[in-house]
Amino acid sequence: MMTILTETAAADATSSVLAARKAHNAKLSANADKKRAVWFPIAFLAALLVLPALQFTGNYNYVLHLVLFTACYVTMASGWNILGGFTGYISLGHNVFFAIGGYFAGMIFARYGISTIILAPFAGLLCAFVGYLIGSVTLKTRGPSFIISSLALVMIARILFDHWQFVGGANGVALKSNDLSVEWAKLPYYYAFVILAAFSVWASYKIKHSKLGLGLRAISKDEIKAESAGIDTRTYKVLAFAVSGAFVGMAGAIWGEYLTYIRPNIFLIILVSVNMVLMCILGGKGTIAGPVIGAILIIAFNELFVATLGASELNILATGVLMVVVLLFFPLGIVGTLARHHRLPRILNWD
Amino acid sequence: MEQIVQTLILGIALGGVFALMGSGLSLVFGVMRIVNLAHPSLIIAGAYVTYWGFKLWGIDPLVMLPIAAIILAAIGVILYKLVFEKEAKSAKYSEMTVLLTFATAMIVEGALGGMFTNTQRVTSPDYATDAIFFGNVFIPTGQLYAGLASLVIIGALALFLKHSRFGNAIRATTQNRDAAELLGVNVNFVGIMSFAIGIGLAGAAGSLVSFVFSFFPAKHWEWIAVLMSLVVLGGMGSILGTVLASFMLSIVAAFVGAYFGSTWSSMTFFLALFLILLVRPQGLFGEKPELA
Repeated sequence: MMTILTETAAADATSSVLAARKAHNAKLSANADKKRAVWFPIAFLAALLVLPALQFTGNYNYVLHLVLFTACYVTMASGWNILGGFTGYISLGHNVFFAIGGYFAGMIFARYGISTIILAPFAGLLCAFVGYLIGSVTLKTRGPSFIISSLALVMIARILFDHWQFVGGANGVALKSNDLSVEWAKLPYYYAFVILAAFSVWASYKIKHSKLGLGLRAISKDEIKAESAGIDTRTYKVLAFAVSGAFVGMAGAIWGEYLTYIRPNIFLIILVSVNMVLMCILGGKGTIAGPVIGAILIIAFNELFVATLGASELNILATGVLMVVVLLFFPLGIVGTLARHHRLPRILNWD
Repeated sequence: MEQIVQTLILGIALGGVFALMGSGLSLVFGVMRIVNLAHPSLIIAGAYVTYWGFKLWGIDPLVMLPIAAIILAAIGVILYKLVFEKEAKSAKYSEMTVLLTFATAMIVEGALGGMFTNTQRVTSPDYATDAIFFGNVFIPTGQLYAGLASLVIIGALALFLKHSRFGNAIRATTQNRDAAELLGVNVNFVGIMSFAIGIGLAGAAGSLVSFVFSFFPAKHWEWIAVLMSLVVLGGMGSILGTVLASFMLSIVAAFVGAYFGSTWSSMTFFLALFLILLVRPQGLFGEKPELA
């Protein structure tokens, strides 16, 4: 967008202004580069990509599962962050997209045997389209009303999926597992999720620093001022909703095949959407590294909790307590709080 | 014809229970501007109090009602002091409190699930399974008693709000918090007390729920959207609106259930919530569409 503008305006007298602004922006980003360590996320990703080599030395399926699970939630939380973090519209209903992606890819996989990893981008497109439709309706509301409408969305989706016989109703559909041997069976999903997570983090960085992202952040500060400054807030919000739904949908697509089952109470339980929200709030809403840190911490917390105490009711209780503590004492999240006190380590400064 | 009358009666009876379930929510929103997503989970807590009173000592659920209300009101005060007081000055107050109440709902659900497991329960006094017949039309006595009790409580609440000094202070705070404070109303105290009354009403509603529906800790997720639809249709903060809305929607839901199957009757509430938020966000009696 900006390049087109600069090209067409080159002959204009304003070109010198634009050139000056471009130079200024370059200086800003050069300054920002000094405050962060770009090598760290790349090295982290590289380490994750070679991690499956562990399988040569023994059975580390549990480790792979944990990384894969975390990557799945990194994707979803980063997607949620585009709407909830950048734009400031808190949705408790984003697992609807998880379900739509999962059912779309899962049903095609069950009927025609096309791998869901190939189908994931299409699931993303479908979710973006559905998100556009839903968003253009629900985003007319704001604040608490929007949150309530998002909850109603989950309830409606749950009833529809529970009673839709074509997709197996409440019992769902069993998918066949792949033919790989036990130690390599997780590998395709592992790479798919790690790459998807990396893509979603990269994409949310790009979105945050695009014109769209700037508009979204303006909306989260003050929507009325943003509108009067000439931002097409409605289109921007709906776009944010669609894009964030697309990421969640892509994660859902592969998740179904990985579990070899698609069923409403895998996708449409409230804990899935709470986890997305909690990860972003714990890590830091509206930051790039926040959802990643949040996902790692929450998954680790859940695993420890289930491993030591076992009961899922206590897990719900603990998740609730954690959420209250974070909201009351660290509303900016880990990254946000550290950044405010100028103590954010360079390796976590991904913005 | 008989079927229509029958459906109408069942809808009205259900509406009476929903009216009490929603009015506490409406009161808390009106005074505190808190959209209390934890309200349904506290109703279930009230239902458990009643259930154990009935199960252990054989106390009638209707006798347990004031006890459940008082216990839950006390829990409400503790909850307010622990969770919501700190947020009162926050800029993003409304969104923060929604998330906080959401987390509170999870805490209540987890605690109830951990203590009492997830099995379905229902208190069974004699009248819960009985019915009064008029020709071919019947009224289930459980729902009749529950609806009457609910109307009595709501009537008492209305009289209290209208004619007592403290009730007037509550209504003044609902209408305009700053002006009420200027006129010498202790708005913080009014806030805490109306929060306690609201949660107490949840406890009372829980007693009725315990013999009208079967319940388990995770059931409150279904009710959140149902109660929200009542409160939003009635106009957030208007108790009269909530009562009218609950009768309207319950009757519609009863007819939908009778003609299209019971799964779709709860869909009525969710779709209504969706439509109202879009078409008329201030509801029937709401004044300011500030939430929209």
